[in-house]
This record gives sequence, C-alpha cells and structure tokens, in this order.
Amino acid sequence: MHKLLLAGTMLMAMTGVANARDIVVAQSSDLRSNNPGVNRDGNTDGVILHIVEGLVGYANNGEVKPLLAKSFEVSADGLTYSFKLRDDVKFHNGKKMTADDVVWNWNRYLKPETKWTCLADFDGSRNVHITEVKVADASTVIITLEKPSAVFLGLMSRPECGYTGMISPESVGADGSFIKPIGTGPFKWDEWKKGEYIHLAKFDDYVSPQNDGKTDGMVGSKRPLVDGIKFMVIPDASTVKAGLQSGVLDAAEISPDLIPEFKASDTLQLIVARNNGKNLFYIQTRDPVLGKPGVRRAMAMALDLDQLVEAASNGTGTANGSMISQDSLYFDAVQKERLPYDVEAAKKELTEAGYKGEPITIIANKRSNVPSFPAAVMAQAMMQQVGLNVQIEVLDYATQVDRRRSGNYQVISQSVAPRLDPALMYGFYVGSKDKNASLMWDDPKAVELMKAAYAESDRTKRQAIFDEFHTMMLKEMPGIFLYDAVDVWGATKELKGQPVWQSNTRLWEVSLDD
Amino acid sequence: MLKFVLNRLLMALPTIVLVSVTVFALIRFIPGDPAALMLGDMAQPDQIAAMHSELGLDKSLPEQFLIWTGNVVQGDFGRSIVNDEAVLPLVVSRFLVSAEIVVVAVLLASLIAVPAGVIAAWRQNSLTDLALVGTATILLSIPTFWLGLLLLLWFGLKLSWLPVLGYVSVGSNLTGGLLYLVLPIMTLVIHEMGVLIRMARASTLEVLRLDYITHARAKGLSESAVLWRHAFKNAFGPTWTVIGLILGNLLGGIAVIETVFTIPGLGRLMVDSIFARDYPVIQGCLLFVSLSYVLVNLVVDLLYPLFDPRVVAE
Repeated sequence: MHKLLLAGTMLMAMTGVANARDIVVAQSSDLRSNNPGVNRDGNTDGVILHIVEGLVGYANNGEVKPLLAKSFEVSADGLTYSFKLRDDVKFHNGKKMTADDVVWNWNRYLKPETKWTCLADFDGSRNVHITEVKVADASTVIITLEKPSAVFLGLMSRPECGYTGMISPESVGADGSFIKPIGTGPFKWDEWKKGEYIHLAKFDDYVSPQNDGKTDGMVGSKRPLVDGIKFMVIPDASTVKAGLQSGVLDAAEISPDLIPEFKASDTLQLIVARNNGKNLFYIQTRDPVLGKPGVRRAMAMALDLDQLVEAASNGTGTANGSMISQDSLYFDAVQKERLPYDVEAAKKELTEAGYKGEPITIIANKRSNVPSFPAAVMAQAMMQQVGLNVQIEVLDYATQVDRRRSGNYQVISQSVAPRLDPALMYGFYVGSKDKNASLMWDDPKAVELMKAAYAESDRTKRQAIFDEFHTMMLKEMPGIFLYDAVDVWGATKELKGQPVWQSNTRLWEVSLDD
Repeated sequence: MLKFVLNRLLMALPTIVLVSVTVFALIRFIPGDPAALMLGDMAQPDQIAAMHSELGLDKSLPEQFLIWTGNVVQGDFGRSIVNDEAVLPLVVSRFLVSAEIVVVAVLLASLIAVPAGVIAAWRQNSLTDLALVGTATILLSIPTFWLGLLLLLWFGLKLSWLPVLGYVSVGSNLTGGLLYLVLPIMTLVIHEMGVLIRMARASTLEVLRLDYITHARAKGLSESAVLWRHAFKNAFGPTWTVIGLILGNLLGGIAVIETVFTIPGLGRLMVDSIFARDYPVIQGCLLFVSLSYVLVNLVVDLLYPLFDPRVVAE
C-alpha cells in the first residue's frame, strides 16, 4: 500500500501540479473576471496587477510615477496632460505598444458598454471629466480635462480601475467581446481553471520602467524571476497553513494568530508588510447618543490605543490616529497627533455631554484577515472603564456592509482597503449623508476641505489642507482611527523577495531558491 | 412501473415548487446587497441603483420570482451575479465533482459498514458487537472538518503520501485525479460508516428475532446460511433507504469537506454564493440539489424490490 501511494505521489509530481519554477500562492476566492477594471474584487486586482500596466503607477510613498509613459507633463492651467510613451514596451502578443493603442484603450474604457468600474470617475459624473484623448505624435498622447484635478493620475493608477491598464486591441473580438487580457506586464495570461487556479506565464520580453534596481510599488524594477505564477483558490485558513508546511504553496496570506508559529518555524518565514489600508471605528454622527462630539471624544480618550493595537494586530501594527497612512508622503508631525489616553478626561467629557449610560453597539465581523472583532472586544473593555455602556454585535460581512450603506448603525469596527492618495481615502468617509447614507462625516467644513484636496495639485498646499482636516477631526472625532492595515503572510524559506504590496499579491522581483 | 415513476415525479412537483419559493424568499430576507458587494466600498448610491436595475433587483419580489421561474421552466437558470457565468452549466459541472466523491464514498462506506453491522447484530452483546458499536458511535461523533484536517495532516504532511491541497479532474488525469480524491473520500467513508453500521445492526437485530429465523435454525441450517441467505435480505431494506437518504443529503452538502480539501464542488459553490449574495447561483444550486434528492430517492425506491420482493413498485 505504502509503495503504491509513493508511486502515485511520484506520478502526481511528474504530471505536474505546477511547473518546475512557478511560484504557487493561495488566494481566498476565485477571480471575478480577467477583464481589467470591469468585474473585480481584491483578489482579482492582485492577479491583474501582474498582467497589465497603466501609463502611470503608484510608488511606495503614494507618489504617482511614469510606468508605460516615459514621462508626463501637465500644462500650467492643469487641464492638459502630455504622456510621452516609452519605446521599449511590447504587448504579450509581441506587438509594440503605440500611441494609437493608448487612445484605443482610453476610448474603450470611456464607452459605457465596457462597464468600466471607474467610468464615473472620469466621465464628469464624479471627479474628473476627460474631454479628449488624442495622439499628438507617434510617441505622445494628450489627455484633456474639463477642470484641473489633483487626483487624475492617482485615480488612473487605482486597483479598482484595473490600473487603467493598456491592453492590445487583440484582447477584444471583432464583435467587441472581451477575449483575454493581452497586456504589457511582467506576466502574461495563461490558464484559468475556475474554482481551482489561475496560471500566469513569465513574459520573456518584459522591460521594467526606469528604476534604481529596487521594487517601488507599481513602478521600479519589475523583473519576472520565475517561470510563472499559480494562484490557487483556497478559502480555508487551515488548508493554507498545511499547504505552506508541505511546500505545495510558496506564499500565502495567513491568519494573524499563526504569527508565533511561523516566527519559530525552521522551514517557514513570516512576512509582515504595512499598507495604506485603515482599521477604524466608523461612527454614526447622526445617532442620538453619538451625535454629541463629547461622547465620541470620550470614546477615543478611553482607548489605550497602543495597547489596543498591540493586542488586535498580534504585535504587527503601530497606532495611528490619522486618516493618512504612516507611509504616505503627507504623514507629518501634525498627522501624528492624537487624543491622549486619559480616563479622567474621558469621564469628564461624558458628564459634560450628558451621557446617562445609553447602550452603544459596536458592529464587528469575524473575518480572519481583519481585526474587526478583536479590536471591538478590546475597545469594549476599555470604554466600559470610563462608564460607556458598550455592546458588540457580530454580523457577517455582507450584512455589515448593508448596515453601513443604510446608515443603520452606531459604531462599526471596520477595515478599509488601501488608497494611496489621502484625498481618495477621505472619499470613503466624508460627504453628504443625505446623498450617501454610508458616509461617516458630513460636516460642511470637512466636505469643503476634501473637495479642496481633490482640486489642489501643489504638494505644500495639499499638506496644509490635510493638516487642517486632521486637526478638525481630532475635535469632532467622527470616527476613531486605530492603525494602518497590515498584511500578514507566510512563505517557505526558499522564497526571496516581498510577495505582497498594499494587500495585493505582487510577485515580480520574487524568486525561489533551488 | 412507468406509472409509478410518473406518479413519483408528479408528487415531487409540489416539493420543487415549495423549495423554489422558500429559497427565493429566504435568500432575499437575509440582509446584504449583491450590488454593494460587487461594486466595492467606494461605490456611490447611483452606481448601486444602476447595478440593481441591470440585475433586475429593482423589480418587486413577486415580479422577480415570476421572471426567474419562467426562465427556469425554459431551462434558463440565469447568470451568476459575481462572474456572469451561466448558472446551469456551472452547477452541473460542480455537481459532477461532488458526485464523484460522494458516490464512491457512500459505496465504499456501505460495502464496509453493512457487513460490519450485520456481524455486530449476529454477535450481539459480544466483545465484537461492543467494539463495532463503540467504533460506530465514535465515527459518528467526529466532526468531518476535524477528521479531514487530521487525515490531511497525517497523510499529507507527516507521511507525504497524498497531496495536501489542489484538485485534478479524474477525466483529465486518472491517476493524479484519484490521488486528490483519496482523502476527501476517506473522510466521508469514515464518517458515514458510523450511521450505516448502527442502521444495519438495528435492522438485522429486528429480523433475527423473527420466527422464520428460528425456524431456519431449527431446520439445521448453518449460521452463515441463516444470516446471509435469510436474515440479510430482509434486514437490508431499511439500510438501503438510509443509504439513499445519505446519498441525497451528501450530494448537496459536503461544503466543509470541499473547503478543507480545496475541491471545487457544489457545496463550496453554494457557500461562496451565499457570502456573495449571488442569488441566481444560490437558487440554482438549491433547486438542483432538491431535484437530485428527489431523483436519488426515486431510484432507491425503484431498486427496493430487488432486495425485498414483497415490495412492488406500483
């Protein structure tokens, strides 16, 4: 029997679960679609990141840098963007990328039939209105906007938009139907076994954008160092762990409670990477109890934030009370300020606000990759110390989203996906609750500051806007920001490089030791 | 016989209708909006409203139900909200994956458990009986996810005999595919054996107490002839019914095993669809499961006379 099974195992190895030098990673759900920016979620973005590239992309510090463009210039009035294209970019079908291809792509994205998720961001419905995309010469594309925007380039680079990735016109059939993504990225589309895995193959002709030899967000050095990538769909955390231990998986996101085990392992390594996502308590400012800023401030001051973060993040996070990530180029001394942990001051605020022990419910979910529940439990204990009557209601994620969208909540222990431009992050929280019940803060001054951040391109002036916003937020406390999100991954010791960036799998410049 | 089959199928119709209405209503009463989940956390109310309209979710519930049932009658189960795949081919392909595991597991479990149950009854109150009943009770009490993980750790990690995760279809690679099925099948076999041993033992005990068994023994027949020729045939009937129920039940419900062993089967599809509030897929899965349940039990009833000639399918 033993021999038979061994023979079978050998045969299995020969038939090839993965090619010899593929990196095998796990993801919790299947790809939604391989059409960039059309039908997506976080896992889909991670796969698409390897296949397509936009004209520009985010660097680690949130700055937007040229990617398929060699350079870009903005006219003095902020309305015209000239993108000079690189001459060394090829699509996966071997054809050189031209200015005509870029214009074709933009026209396709801007057609409603494409169903691009980000259409409303560029057609004037929301932030930016592109009035024209045209070829200036063989290597230059000009995009004209109706009004200046500080976030135009940032919006283009977002994962939700499929990175506004340039694909070959051959990706689409004669009838306009999408066939497969023929992009320019370091890996090319190969195979999709639905419910099982997605396989990408190395693009041998890939050339990185200009770089200093290091990875840098979506730009920098992007060499594919392995023959391919296999994204295996594995929803169960215990199975992921077994996959890493057996060596079938090379890397995967793991449950934070496995941190000590992975730290102590001889064969596995722990990878912890901070991202621009946020963990926070999202507060309903129209609630009869929480409508009083004094109660919200008392809640914030009741929290020993460093201790809470230490426990909720299994020692991987650092407290940050700002909406802006610690790794952003806009995170300055003002952004570091937060309300002190002060039990007596919190009690005083509650008395002054006329709080009489009314119940406050924190909604939390138990998804293993976010600290929603542990953060809520810690906060409940700390807030009870100052006399706040806090309860926890555990919901599944879909129901939690529903409650937030309808405005039917008091406090939600929430995690928000990374957005590298602070103004885009503000967009998640700030705005009119009458128009969008899911928003957290509808103070007119805050809305005005957010709009200013969307329009202002000058970095110094933007910094002043963000700082004023933060100072105002500490007074009003419309939500309690806890810490920047952390990606916790496990990998075999053979894996070299950083396989995760901003919660997305990123496997260029990642290799496997023989 | 044909009349019996038609009658049974007609009798199943109210069940199917009831299942359709219940599933349709229940899934919509659960909070959660597929459009909001699809579009992500930055979606604006106008985008969500547009998506509702595109998916037909802005229509009244009775209207949605009538449209859906009208399409189902014509063989169109709709398209997945999540990935726009046609629901029926998706459900069928996933069902076949689950079915290959379940059918083999139930067959193996029956082959082992039924004789074991009969032997336990034959040796009632002996050490053999005690051991078999004790084992069956333990097997019955072990949660499948825990058993699955235990087998995975032992055979996959410790001994490295079997693959830890992944799936290869038997159709594309027979040997490789079979290896991936060993652990999920083994988990199911072990778990289901518990029920079947107890069932086979109980029904055999009842038969062994009947007069004709005493008569057979009085005639001087050997114990094995009494047991297998006279007792087993009559005792197997109730067990066969339970096998049918288990089969029908498992065909739509091995989500836990499929999750642990990364098998892209129907159960996992159903769970994923519930989390994503993918209404057409959930409805398609449950309707298909109830249909398969009805058909499996019909087949069981049709085969019943083979084991018990007193029963006639009419």
